[in-house]
Amino acid sequence: MSQSVTPEDRRKLWEAMRVPVFSFVALLMFLAGLVGLGWLMPGRTASFIEAGLTLCMILTVLLFSMEVREESSLAKFYSFLGFCWLSILLCMTMVDYLTR
Amino acid sequence: MRAEAASIIGAPVGIETHEQFSNPAQQKHAAELGMWAWLLTELLLFGGLFLIALVLRYQYPDSVHAAALHLKFWIGAANTAILICSSLTMSGAIMLSRLGGQRWMVRCMLATAALGSLFLVLKGYEWFADWQEHMTPFLPGPYALEGDAQSRLFVNLYFVTTALHGLHLTTGVAILLGLTWMAKQPDFLVKHQNRIEIYGLYWHFIDLIWIMAFAVLYVVGR
Amino acid sequence: MSPLDTSLMDPPNPSATLERPKDYLHESHTLRSWFFTTDHKRIAVMYLFAITVFFVIGAIAAGLVRLSLVVPNGEIFTSDTYNKLFTIHGVVMVWFFLIPSIPATFGNFLLPLMIGAKDLAFPRLNLLSWYIFCAGSLFAVFDIIIGGVDTGWTFYAPFSTTFSNTWVVPALIGVIIAGFSSILTGLNFVVTIHTMRAPGMTWFRMPIFVWTHYAVSLIFLLATPVITMALILLVLERSFNIGIFDPTLGGDPVLFEHLFWFYSHPAVYIMVLPGMGVISEIVPAFAQKKIFGYRFIAYASIALASLTFFVWGHHMFVNGESDTAALVFSVLSFAVAVPSAVKVYNWTATIYKGSIRLKTPMIYAMGYIGLFVIGGLTGLFLATLSINEHVHGTYFVVAHFHYIMVGGTVLAFLGGLHFWWPKFTGRMYPEGWGLVSAVFIFIGFNATFFPQFLLGYLGMPRRYHDYPPEFQILNVMSSVGALVLAAGYIFPMVYLVWSLWFGKRAPANPWDAKGLEWTTSSPPPTHNFITPPVVDFEPYDYPMETPGDAR
Repeated sequence: MSQSVTPEDRRKLWEAMRVPVFSFVALLMFLAGLVGLGWLMPGRTASFIEAGLTLCMILTVLLFSMEVREESSLAKFYSFLGFCWLSILLCMTMVDYLTR
Repeated sequence: MRAEAASIIGAPVGIETHEQFSNPAQQKHAAELGMWAWLLTELLLFGGLFLIALVLRYQYPDSVHAAALHLKFWIGAANTAILICSSLTMSGAIMLSRLGGQRWMVRCMLATAALGSLFLVLKGYEWFADWQEHMTPFLPGPYALEGDAQSRLFVNLYFVTTALHGLHLTTGVAILLGLTWMAKQPDFLVKHQNRIEIYGLYWHFIDLIWIMAFAVLYVVGR
Repeated sequence: MSPLDTSLMDPPNPSATLERPKDYLHESHTLRSWFFTTDHKRIAVMYLFAITVFFVIGAIAAGLVRLSLVVPNGEIFTSDTYNKLFTIHGVVMVWFFLIPSIPATFGNFLLPLMIGAKDLAFPRLNLLSWYIFCAGSLFAVFDIIIGGVDTGWTFYAPFSTTFSNTWVVPALIGVIIAGFSSILTGLNFVVTIHTMRAPGMTWFRMPIFVWTHYAVSLIFLLATPVITMALILLVLERSFNIGIFDPTLGGDPVLFEHLFWFYSHPAVYIMVLPGMGVISEIVPAFAQKKIFGYRFIAYASIALASLTFFVWGHHMFVNGESDTAALVFSVLSFAVAVPSAVKVYNWTATIYKGSIRLKTPMIYAMGYIGLFVIGGLTGLFLATLSINEHVHGTYFVVAHFHYIMVGGTVLAFLGGLHFWWPKFTGRMYPEGWGLVSAVFIFIGFNATFFPQFLLGYLGMPRRYHDYPPEFQILNVMSSVGALVLAAGYIFPMVYLVWSLWFGKRAPANPWDAKGLEWTTSSPPPTHNFITPPVVDFEPYDYPMETPGDAR
């Protein structure tokens, strides 16, 4: 029995894949931005923009690819808890290095 | 039930409940939470490496800059794009698992594994090129930035980070292939649809870590 | 949940073997049924066996250290051997005894029972945790005993990375592997508590034991990966000289210490919090009184698990961190004492005017409270920068943490072991011997460690093989105390095993305690409850409550 894509299928598939495709395009665009900046403006000034673009990419993966927006509040909490704790490690250690 | 005999989606989808759970919803919730808890630990594992990157950039900005210029920026960027594509195919697999399209789901999983393997091939080539250019200070032999001892730290950090990520990716591809083999069995989506979703979270996370590593090592402050 | 369940389960005394309903211990007898079990209760028993073995190893190492310190000139062992002995003691006691002790044994056994579940969320993962624990710990113990490691359990760079000639890398690998066991246990507990509670078991109806294990599990998840990375980097540093902790290449040994203590300070709360959970169960039962300030204790557990991550620099005050960082960490260390103090006040208020029965578990619990207060207060002294300057690296620190770890956690462990022994085994232990051991332990412990506060204050450094002769009297006192303490440990090893065959058979609830675990038989059936419980009662539903306590 051969299988083919019926119009009904096509609609359902497109419905389902809208968010992943959007996320894919967004990530590639942010990547292009990063690559562009890295290539054209090497040096410290671009760092903040690059950090911002990276943050956008992280949020896109979390919220859209990993569907955190639709998860339970518990999963949402756990998905962000790690980043909070990472920031404790980074910030408090840097308190030492920045004040030596 | 199947809507049409020729449809590629629409097969029944479900979860077979394990003994310790009272219902499938509880099992689904537990599996999802379990994966997020695991990913939390993975983030903190890599966190130590990001801390060291931050400290080195703060302490030796020039050495780090000199070392970063020797990194293969374009291979890194290509690899990032490859992983982003693999995330798309993995999302495809997840969506198809929900819709009951087993054959195409398996194809998406294989595509994901293929893209992951492509990443590893490029990475291997990149490391080989680094070695050829004498940018492997942890190995005996000449070192390209000989006068700058601190640059070694950043280069070594780059190797540790990418090796650890590569290890996770290799394990990820291996598990994915195993999961794909299981996913081809006839009853898979009726009994284990959940597994694709849970695995998908892990795959996206590997992508996430790479995005962070790419930015921190290759891009920022180049 | 039917009140008839327990009376059906209580064995008529004495009951013939054939009549007894099948419980988890007697369901099957093959080795295969134990080594391939997914029953959380059997896994808990296997952990109990493993950690007892490690306790004995660690205790023997301690005994040899105390033996060596009887003479000031260090003639009994060479200094290399001495260094290896205290490393064995530290590594084994911290990672292979204290950290798994209460969570992996009592936590594994009791958590599903206390929340009314059939098992943990991931039973096979639980078994895997045990195997990973055994693999990592046995490998590490083999290395530190056969090969020897002389860096201390803290593995500070650059000694561990550059100068030590001992089996550092294999030992580290063992510890790294064992760490994954903690992570997986924590993951299992967190998911279980969130998703497997019986109908009606809301968060604020759970026993405090469950709250503290939730808090501990958070620490397992958040802290352990960081030390995994720190130790991996040590291995790489030693094997490939990657340079990150090597001052000659511009690296920073203090960076290792940041990564190490980011885990190891919360680790001490991993060792403390479950003990607090145990005490919170014992005290209301033996005062027959509702626990005072239930919500405060619950919140304090979570607060402790959170705040503990902000204070790790207090281990590094004199090791090279900046003055500003030291100040920040000092202030935060004062703050972290508050939730612990809240719990101590609440236990004390629970005991006050309770209907007190001085059984073995209660003796241990009351001992815990007193000794934990001493340990905690001396922690505050150590958090004070000016005092720390003088007593860092001395026996004052050693005494402080032993008051918490032994006077606290080990006493809680033993108290819990006696409290739940009837539940685990279906047998009562001999009460007289229980009391005798508790007294031996209390006296022996104080005799061992109180002199060490004095030694530290007077300036005797820790981890030193020899010392000025004027310190000998205090050292001898400490070593003699250790003999009494050892006797106190040996008695339960004998009488608890004896009770397995000859102890009185235990009813479902020998202590008149509240909590779901007491509503099922002693020992419980494999699936925990004959009829799945529905919870419609408040926690600690004891006859009395403290006047003025809102909840």
